[in-house]
Amino acid sequence: MCTKSTLIILSACLLVCFPPISLAAEVQLPQGEKLTSIDFERHIMGLLGRMGCASGSCHGSFQGKGGLTLSLFGYDPAKDYQALVRDQNGRRVDFANPDNSLLLLKATGQSPHGGLTRFGKSSWQYQLIREWIAQGAPWKAGSGSVQTLQITPAECVFDKPGGRLSLQVTAHYANGASENVTSLCEFRTNDDAVADVSNLGVVHALRPGDTAVVVSYRGSVVPVRVLVPTETKAGFVYPTIPEVNYIDREVFAKLKRLNMVPSDLASDEEFLRRVSLDTIGKLPTAEEVRRFLGDPSPDKREKKIDELLNHPLHAALWATKFCDITGNNTDALENPLQRKPHQSQMWHDWFRKRLAENMPYDQLVHGVLTATSREDRSLEEYVKHVEKYEEAQEKGQVTDYAERKTLDLFWRRQQRVTVEEWGEKTAAAFLGVRLECAQCHKHPFDRWTQEDYRAYANIFNAVAFAVPPRDQKQYRQINEERAKRSQNRANELRRMGQQVTFLPVVPLREVFLHPNPPRPLTHPDTGKPLPAKTLGGPELKVASGEDPREALWKWMREPSNPFFARSFVNRVWGHYFSVGIVHPVDDFSLANPPSNEKLLDALATDFIQSGFDIRKLEKTILLSRTYQLSSTPNETNKFDRNNYSRCYIRPLMAEVVVDMLNDALGATEKWGPGEGREGARAIEIGASRVQNAGVNHLFRVFGRPPRAAACDCERAMDPALPQKLFLMADPTLQQKLRAPNGLLASILKNKKNDLEALSELFLSTLGREPTEQEKQAFVQFRDRKAPETPGRSAADRRAVFNDTLWALLNTTEFIFNH
Amino acid sequence: MTVRKTDCEGFHRRDVLKFGAAGLFGLGLPELLRLEAQAARDGTARNRKANAVIMLWLGGGPATIDMWDLKPEAPEGIRGEFKPIATKAEGVQICEHLPKTAQVMNHALLVRSLHHTIPSHGPATVFMTTGNKPTPALQYPALGSLVSKLMPAKPGVPPYVSFGEIRGGVGGAAGYLGTAYNPFIVEGSAGNGRGKGGTTLRVRGIQLPNGFTLDELNDREGLLRGFDRTFKAIDKSADIVDGFDAFHKQALEILRSDRTKKAFHLEEESTATRERYGSTTFGQGALAARRLVEAGVRFVTLTLGGWDTHQKTFERCKTNLLPTLDTTLSALIEDLQQRGMLDSTIVYCAGEFGRTPKVNKNVGRDHWARSMAVLLAGGGFRKGYAHGTTDAHGMAPEIDPVTPDDVSATIFHNLGIDPHTELMTSTGRPIALFREGKVISKLLA
Repeated sequence: MCTKSTLIILSACLLVCFPPISLAAEVQLPQGEKLTSIDFERHIMGLLGRMGCASGSCHGSFQGKGGLTLSLFGYDPAKDYQALVRDQNGRRVDFANPDNSLLLLKATGQSPHGGLTRFGKSSWQYQLIREWIAQGAPWKAGSGSVQTLQITPAECVFDKPGGRLSLQVTAHYANGASENVTSLCEFRTNDDAVADVSNLGVVHALRPGDTAVVVSYRGSVVPVRVLVPTETKAGFVYPTIPEVNYIDREVFAKLKRLNMVPSDLASDEEFLRRVSLDTIGKLPTAEEVRRFLGDPSPDKREKKIDELLNHPLHAALWATKFCDITGNNTDALENPLQRKPHQSQMWHDWFRKRLAENMPYDQLVHGVLTATSREDRSLEEYVKHVEKYEEAQEKGQVTDYAERKTLDLFWRRQQRVTVEEWGEKTAAAFLGVRLECAQCHKHPFDRWTQEDYRAYANIFNAVAFAVPPRDQKQYRQINEERAKRSQNRANELRRMGQQVTFLPVVPLREVFLHPNPPRPLTHPDTGKPLPAKTLGGPELKVASGEDPREALWKWMREPSNPFFARSFVNRVWGHYFSVGIVHPVDDFSLANPPSNEKLLDALATDFIQSGFDIRKLEKTILLSRTYQLSSTPNETNKFDRNNYSRCYIRPLMAEVVVDMLNDALGATEKWGPGEGREGARAIEIGASRVQNAGVNHLFRVFGRPPRAAACDCERAMDPALPQKLFLMADPTLQQKLRAPNGLLASILKNKKNDLEALSELFLSTLGREPTEQEKQAFVQFRDRKAPETPGRSAADRRAVFNDTLWALLNTTEFIFNH
Repeated sequence: MTVRKTDCEGFHRRDVLKFGAAGLFGLGLPELLRLEAQAARDGTARNRKANAVIMLWLGGGPATIDMWDLKPEAPEGIRGEFKPIATKAEGVQICEHLPKTAQVMNHALLVRSLHHTIPSHGPATVFMTTGNKPTPALQYPALGSLVSKLMPAKPGVPPYVSFGEIRGGVGGAAGYLGTAYNPFIVEGSAGNGRGKGGTTLRVRGIQLPNGFTLDELNDREGLLRGFDRTFKAIDKSADIVDGFDAFHKQALEILRSDRTKKAFHLEEESTATRERYGSTTFGQGALAARRLVEAGVRFVTLTLGGWDTHQKTFERCKTNLLPTLDTTLSALIEDLQQRGMLDSTIVYCAGEFGRTPKVNKNVGRDHWARSMAVLLAGGGFRKGYAHGTTDAHGMAPEIDPVTPDDVSATIFHNLGIDPHTELMTSTGRPIALFREGKVISKLLA
């Protein structure tokens, strides 16, 4: 039995324990979730993240916006709670009258808000925040740290375009609880031509193909594969497609799921032009085309592939690609200016030699990653070594730099490179991972935190390009001598009344491991130095005096490494198909899953088992039926963009455009001092900027990368208007077209019959004979301009063929690979 | 194919992302072109004061302490040899060797308190021509590239034209915007050296070369169509083929248009005008720049080099550099003003940095980025004004310090483009035009 007084005490007690709030009302979220107690981390921060409030352009920016600063992408609940509930004297939340909370007034636009109206007063978002405030704006630290995000279904398989499917997302929290959070997630499609996704997770299949929908919630990112098969007519039976190797097995298995039938095998003409441009960056000559077409042997494609992979230009083409990957940026190399192109060429030579020898990929990377200038040389030997190549540079000879074990040029840049940059460069180059977002904040669509970023960068902490402390004295002497010698030489020349033209020397330095490295980068929160650590792997245990880069390399080449082999096979695949299995090729991240995981795994496994044999990998790819498919689509695969059901029409590297145009015109290029021998092809040139104005212009127009940033995206592979203008009207190109000694001149000399000459021109540009229609178009044109009569002048004939060659170079068929 | 892009921002930005993905095949290219054209129309911004910029680039780093911000009271080793003179702008004095410019200073303003921290030609050039401090992680686009992206020109007219390259291409390029936004380069010479006769100036890549006539082009075009049919029939849905086709049509339009070509017909100008601009390549180029702007070009860059005066700075400035600049700069401002174009055209005269206040032992001045001055005229800028001051020895700004980012932001403000507009890099990272730039309201008319 209760007395009145105990009741009063009891209610007083209740009042103390529970703030005077209205009874918890239920908030219903649009995906059916019913919430009674609102959790700050799970619900409020989830909502703010999803609404974009904590993004870098809004309150997540460093300065915040309009006085409110939230942690970027909500990585710091404590800070955000403070900002929302405590700062500004708690004006942002009003417990007595939740509707009067500044947070709600701003978000609904009732009070002026730079971000305008985010939601209305009757919305569920409003109800959610209002209810949280009404409940006293509670926060339980850690209540919403996500362990896993579970999506149902884990894969969206439609039966045809047009269907819809609703995703359900369950968050499993670190404290063991789990909850449906679908309404609080962000959804994004990787290809909105294939499937769209609503902001509540309803996937809508639009067009045949596949893509991924990426779900993220409070820093966790999970991709969901979406498959939209082609709709087939009644009675459609998927044909049996012959398979050459495991590539075909994996590619065709996926295509079958998509109801996409691969295109037919490419014709011999199509195959030869494609594979020549892809492997050696060269157009086959008319003679080569004829010989290949006339060869009756069943294994002629394989023989051709072997021939091309062993061709010296094949190593040159991949050396150029490795110069991109490793950042051979001429402008950034060590002074003096005049020696920079030489150094770029040494860089190219170094790769080319190894690629020609088919050095295993892991060994190749070892030479880059663990480079020092001296290697095992004494200081004396090192000086000799440098002066030897300096002398060769001066004489315009090929240096012996390629004989070195390691590529110290990679680490040898004029301006100091920070450890952060080394981290970013090596991760992009050899792991296919873009880290730069994680420099300032947790990567929004990947797992990398600032801690990961800094710990990885610390691997390079001791790498220095300077004068080693213990050798200061000798170096001073050496450098004084070098300067004096150079000065004497100049004086001597001046005395003799000659111009001083020799290449200057700069004080010698070297790439080495500093015995007393600077303080490593620290933990963003605790400020404690972070031990060097691989990406997503173990800490590096390095004995003193040992090179941590060596340990990094060992970690990379372990068969279990998730990035090293996969990123390289993906690069090679991306080169031969123009679309990586992971695309872009250097963007391996949670939000960017491979289009065909099994294929990528199979390639990587094979590559590792072969001992990182690059050429074997290439051969396997080129031999596959998949590579040899035609570019002509059929009804079932015309929408395919990333499952390799046919050959995709694609632009060529700028260097290959230079070379290919010269092939078609029978022309060559001149290069500046140190850039390359006269007549060298553009893929044999190391320098990222060349003196030849015509080539430089073409490089710029067709997108040769400056190699300044560690990103595959630097190489612009998109068609642009100036390219078309270049092909139509560039003065240098037009001059070559009219040249008296080019390929056209010799064709006209050897083929007196117009149609024969036309065939020859078609073969040497498009790699095929003209069709009947094309012959007719030519004849009509010629008969109007200068009919084939005995009295026709050579000049008139040439004019007709100049026009014809111009037209061929301007076809879409010429300028792309296909 | 939509190339997926991870961006640091999130999903609500998808529209921006789509739109910023220029060059990728996320959209069919023609669709992209259409979208951009539409945006260009919609974006005829309400606040647009100017629709073109002529940038006079003083390569090498001009000694602005001897031009725009003289220190006659400073000790001998600093103040230099030149005397200040009064100008048509009340209270604004400039160098005695810029007398013609003094007469048009009532139309122009000086920023005397500009400063940055990079005394090295290459990166300083990048800083000044992009409005962003250079970083190794990202290549910022030049102001002209940004303008050609955000204010496309009329069909047949190149948006961004540069007389030669800035520092061999170090400055002036499109950076993360991609090759499509690089400048069109003018080549050739500007007449016979006396400011008379025809010129051989031409924009590389948008005109038919000599000996290649329009009739010939049309002829060849017919034959080309006969050859292109087979291949185009192969894959009608290929975005890339479609896109290239769209560019083909545009290219023809440009090559057939003579708007730009006519801009180089300087012989159409009176002798008086041509002489007024100066008989130098720079002077005749500036005249051509005005004509290019009349034809619809949005951004023209013109370089006058030779300002890296480590030796004999006063002699070189007095006898050559300053008279050349004085004649051309004043002529350009005067001519634009008389034609009623100055209000809609910004003239921006700057170099990569200033030079050391202290005169060196070779009677030269060395690199100095910590204080420098630039001139701006027209297009929404205040007239007859000098902004900010430097200390007594011209070592550093004192009142109203301004950065290259701020100047760039203010120029874009006058072009009606929000300087904090975000563009997407090709990796999908959103980048504000001028992250650190503030619009300087005192510079506005």
